[in-house]
Amino acid sequence: MGSEIINVENLHKSFGKLHVLKGINLTVERGEIISVIGPSGSGKSTLLRCLNHLETADKGSISFEGEYIASVDSEGNSVYKKNREVLAICSRLGMVFQNFNLFPHKTVLGNLIEAPITVKNEDKQAVEKKALVLLEKVGLSEKKDAYPGQLSGGQQQRVAIARALAMSPEIMLFDEPTSALDPELIGEVLQVIKQLAEEDMTMIIVTHEMTFAREISDRIIFMDNGTVLADSPPENIFVKPEHPRIRQFLSKMLQSDD
Amino acid sequence: MDFDYLSGITEFILKGTGVTLKIYAVTLVFSIPLGIICAFGKISRFAPLRILLGAYTWVFRGTPLLLQLFFFYYGLSALTHGAIQLEALFAAYTAFVINYAAYFTEIFRAGIQSINKGQYEAAKALGMGSWQTMKRIILPQAVKLVLPPMGNEAINLIKDTALCSIITVTEIMRNAQVTVSRDVRVEGLLIAAIIYLCFTFVIIQVFRLLEKRFAHYKN
Repeated sequence: MGSEIINVENLHKSFGKLHVLKGINLTVERGEIISVIGPSGSGKSTLLRCLNHLETADKGSISFEGEYIASVDSEGNSVYKKNREVLAICSRLGMVFQNFNLFPHKTVLGNLIEAPITVKNEDKQAVEKKALVLLEKVGLSEKKDAYPGQLSGGQQQRVAIARALAMSPEIMLFDEPTSALDPELIGEVLQVIKQLAEEDMTMIIVTHEMTFAREISDRIIFMDNGTVLADSPPENIFVKPEHPRIRQFLSKMLQSDD
Repeated sequence: MDFDYLSGITEFILKGTGVTLKIYAVTLVFSIPLGIICAFGKISRFAPLRILLGAYTWVFRGTPLLLQLFFFYYGLSALTHGAIQLEALFAAYTAFVINYAAYFTEIFRAGIQSINKGQYEAAKALGMGSWQTMKRIILPQAVKLVLPPMGNEAINLIKDTALCSIITVTEIMRNAQVTVSRDVRVEGLLIAAIIYLCFTFVIIQVFRLLEKRFAHYKN
């Protein structure tokens, strides 16, 4: 415990005139599970997507295990490493998308072995063996030869998690992993994430599942309007939220949660 | 029915199939790769290249193929005072390759661009470089999408070869016209129609098979 894996300082990001992230600071330690919650449009997904360079930050620094993906110049503007180096670092972060983004022209097994073979040049047989273990873990061994289009949303998302794990990432990023799912399929995906939590996988989860976030997280980050309003253990947020904005959000969310 | 006459003109008209198929094959063999290259140019970040290629596809899709044939056969020679005089068949190759490459450029560009942004993001998140992503994730999916419009072009092309008759290329249509004006009889046109239908039937079957090969997954 205690070794820092991600450090973000004063992160700013705008889309045109829309200032989405307004100076975010974030430190993640190995083994930590962090849920990022907050209203829609508060910048949660953008923050997550900046961490593995799916978005390019305007200002501020991002480092992974002490290595800067983006450092800052004298005016605080983000200065990224060379593309290839950034890509190499970011391949150590696993990402799970809201819309799964599986490769539709490849089988389930093909989806899992693609990157380990083409990016890490791993041996095909070894990768396949590992992929089958991962499919077993997410309960989809019998679907290894199916195409994504033949699977339910919940199954697709479990494949997507396995695909990310096949790269042996040091941290997993989840971008609203259950938001595109029918309610009855959410449980199976959350179950897989819980399983990863038990194995001490470091995770950052952007989610609207409040009960789940409270249960699984070491820390909750509450974002609102591009800033972090709170960064503390779940009890502080859910039991005695100090900030009125958080109270208001939670009462709305927990009502609809049931 | 006058079977001797029919078999005589059929034999004569069929002599044009070799030339028709040559134009067909040369056009496909050169215009498809050219179209792929230009499609990459059209989605590149280099604006002057995009503008140049935009002008190219506009001009060659925006004017009649017949006019382009005339240009390469008669126009080029007139403009250069006879310095450049393409042979009829070569003028046909030139016009067809450049014209069809313009259509293929747009088909491939649209195919590549219609692949969901999430596919690029997933590949990038897994550490795949842009070339790997293009080769292993985007293009294989784009192939499936471009097959139906490619099939249309493949059928159009066999019919368009008939335009070459106007610049004295002795293909199917030219020979059929010769029998019509020589004998003042129209059976030659019917024979030509049947030959074209045979070709299009084969093309349709080929594309049906190709599409079947990609039917195992949904985009």
